[in-house]
Amino acid sequence: MRAVSEAETATTIHPWAVQAEALQVKAGRHLAVDGLDLALGTGVHGLLGPNGAGKTTLMRALATVLKPAGGQLTLLGQPVDGRADLRSVRRALGYLPQHFGFYPRFTVREFVSYMAWLKEMPKAAIPAATQRAIDRVGLAAKADARLKTLSGGMLRRAGIAQAIVNDPQVLLLDEPTVGLDPEQRLDFRELLRDIGTDACVLVSTHLVEDVAAACTEVVLVNEGRLVWQGTPTQLTAQGDASHAGDSAAERGYSAILRRSRAEAAR
Amino acid sequence: MIYIQLYLRSRRVPLALAVAAGAAVVLWTLWLTLSTESRVATSMVVLTVGLLVSAVSTTLAAPDENLDRTASRRWPWWRAAHLLAAVAVVMLIPLATLMTGAQFGPATLLLRDVAGLFGLTALAATVVGAARSWFVPLGWAVIAALFPQPGLWGALATWPSQPHGNRPAAVVAAAFAVAGLVTYALAGPARREPAE
Amino acid sequence: MSIVGIELRRSAAVGAALLAFAVGTVALYADTGRWAGGWIPMALTLREYTLLLWPLALAAGAWQGRREHRAKVGELFVTTPRSRAGRMRPVLIAMAATIVLAHLLVNVAAGVWIAGTAHYFPLAGFTVITVVGTLSLVAAAWLGLGLGRLWPALVTAPALGVAGVLVIFYGAIMKPRWAGAALSPVFGSGGFFRYQTIDSRVSAALAITMTGLAVTGLLLLVAGRPGLRAAAVLPVVVAAGLAFTIVPRDEATLLGPSDQRARELVCTDDAPKVCVTRIDQNVLPALTPLARQGLAALAKVPGGPTAVHEENYEFGRWDEIPRDNSVVTVSVGIDDHGGLANPDSVVHGVVSGLGVVYQEDCERDGAVERAAAYYLMGRRPVSDVGVVPGVIEESPEITTEAVKLWERLQALPSSEALTRVAAVRQALVDCKSPVGLL
Repeated sequence: MRAVSEAETATTIHPWAVQAEALQVKAGRHLAVDGLDLALGTGVHGLLGPNGAGKTTLMRALATVLKPAGGQLTLLGQPVDGRADLRSVRRALGYLPQHFGFYPRFTVREFVSYMAWLKEMPKAAIPAATQRAIDRVGLAAKADARLKTLSGGMLRRAGIAQAIVNDPQVLLLDEPTVGLDPEQRLDFRELLRDIGTDACVLVSTHLVEDVAAACTEVVLVNEGRLVWQGTPTQLTAQGDASHAGDSAAERGYSAILRRSRAEAAR
Repeated sequence: MIYIQLYLRSRRVPLALAVAAGAAVVLWTLWLTLSTESRVATSMVVLTVGLLVSAVSTTLAAPDENLDRTASRRWPWWRAAHLLAAVAVVMLIPLATLMTGAQFGPATLLLRDVAGLFGLTALAATVVGAARSWFVPLGWAVIAALFPQPGLWGALATWPSQPHGNRPAAVVAAAFAVAGLVTYALAGPARREPAE
Repeated sequence: MSIVGIELRRSAAVGAALLAFAVGTVALYADTGRWAGGWIPMALTLREYTLLLWPLALAAGAWQGRREHRAKVGELFVTTPRSRAGRMRPVLIAMAATIVLAHLLVNVAAGVWIAGTAHYFPLAGFTVITVVGTLSLVAAAWLGLGLGRLWPALVTAPALGVAGVLVIFYGAIMKPRWAGAALSPVFGSGGFFRYQTIDSRVSAALAITMTGLAVTGLLLLVAGRPGLRAAAVLPVVVAAGLAFTIVPRDEATLLGPSDQRARELVCTDDAPKVCVTRIDQNVLPALTPLARQGLAALAKVPGGPTAVHEENYEFGRWDEIPRDNSVVTVSVGIDDHGGLANPDSVVHGVVSGLGVVYQEDCERDGAVERAAAYYLMGRRPVSDVGVVPGVIEESPEITTEAVKLWERLQALPSSEALTRVAAVRQALVDCKSPVGLL
């Protein structure tokens, strides 16, 4: 564990870790996120939505990769726009991109500690934090293996390890469960719940199951807008047997989507 | 025809050829404007050939070599054809200058060096992959171009820059060409490309 | 686990440095005779092989500079608070440190060879040339990093390698010469004399250019905005401009600058004096008895020379060679191990011209001189081939004629023969034809 600095404890006064108002983000020339309102606090939030709904674009904007094209975005109480100095926000950020780029010649430990260094963690704290992050994703046995020798699931876990190495207050995971086997997914849900007790975690996924099981809240977006926000229990209550899906959560998801599409068509 | 085109694009051939031709034009222009000689110095010719071969060496492997190998094409023939076509195309670029005021020649030297260096490149590609295959041939060409050595051993060691009639140099080049062609056609490029 | 340590292990730095060390060392040891004569000759020979090392460093940098693009880590890394410059610092340090170490080790590897024989160690001169060489390699590596980031294509590294060779090779021989001196890190490496060096102003100019180049590479690597990247060309332009103002313009300083201390003659304490240039002082003990043997032979005729000096001409000052017939000027060769080369030729070298300085417009005759010299040495004349280093063929008539004359001298009483030899020498001194005097 690392020492908690004054600046870090001071950031808890803001009500929402992530707050977006009428947010617009471009993906290329196309407005992939268009007028999205969102407020996320501590907990695990599952981001659901069909392909092309703007999930990844939203994640990239929250990760400060993309600059908002319009509206307001506040991370940890700090406005994110073209001019802001993002360093303090970025120090408290963890991000696993959909396409996780890595240095194939680095070992897991090297890459995670390199990321910790990029996140400007104090040098003395890096080795312990690296080990802890690798332990938490269950890669301890492979800690000194080169990344290019890892399987897809292991790589994904290495990606999660680098995202959580700095104990982020905002953790953004874009499709983290791709390539994980069922057992690892169970471990991963456990990890999410653990982190979600004192940080804001946003998990983008297509697996409604994961969301229902591990999230405290569900965020559903479609065509760049927030469609629905509620707890997993509320989600399951949305659907009935007439909706497509193999589980109550999936049926709820289908029901909300169908309703929103019907509204949009009107 | 469209499938040949797709194959070439999958190997990024258009980019490689554009780079090779562009580099050749730059060197040709430099010689034309800065030198009074119409025959380009041998060292310069060797360096040019080395560069052209390096530029085209990037086409020796597919973006995902493992995927390619699952296809049922008769790869040995394709690879051999690819290599021979590459030699021919790279030959054509300097040959075209023989009719101009800055001649990258003579043709026999071009043939020896292009074939020999391509053979070496193909050989290297089977061991370290296409991305790194230019290390040895280009390094060798540069050293030979700058420090050509006399005598039999010198000719063997610095074969790319020997005069065009030199027999030992031609033998070395032919050996590399044949070894490279056979090894590359049969074994194909090393298979750790996609991760790097 | 330090980040520089990770970069050292995982970047191209160590591989490139090992390759540079191997190339430099093998190239030097391929012909030790070129540099076994001293520390500056060694530094200059290594400077010539910068022709290989500089493009190598450039290409290695370009290969490394492409890494972020190749691994597609850009998206992940921009979300971190550390700046681009901060992120690049470890790899810049790693590349620079390893190439510096490699260059240093090449110097050590070569230095071991000459440490026992090269007694004259011009610390300042050697250090300046070597440090500027090292600096140029660091500049190449950093420029490569910057260009590799700017054009992250596979072909960038080989293209830059070839471009690097061409630029510094043609830079070294370009006109005007002073511009090449300020721009090319191999300029001035082909020496005429062992006491040749690099003028300190040339070194300073090159250091400025290379520093500018390094800064340009640095900016290309860390600059975020395209505008700043375009501005990256400024440091090298400004540096080159500055270098042009301080680089010397006169040909002699550019082509054949001498290390005056190395060029000074160091002599035996006792007579007859034998002197060599300071850089060759280690061969004086080996040379002295042979040179004195030659002087003894010449002393058989009156008015002969009384000292042997190694020639120490300066570039562009051939007309200032002293015409002193009391001193024999010989050239001294250094062998592959730094010792006296061809000791068998020394006596012949002293006696062969009968101790008379060659002058333009004076008629000399090879056969007559050879017969006279060999008479003094008490041996039958032979062809210069195999005796005088560097002579690979000569007309056989010279030897045939010399043997005929020598046999005639042998048939005479020694006093008469020496009188005739003395007449030949006098004719040479007086700038008259010696033909027919034997």
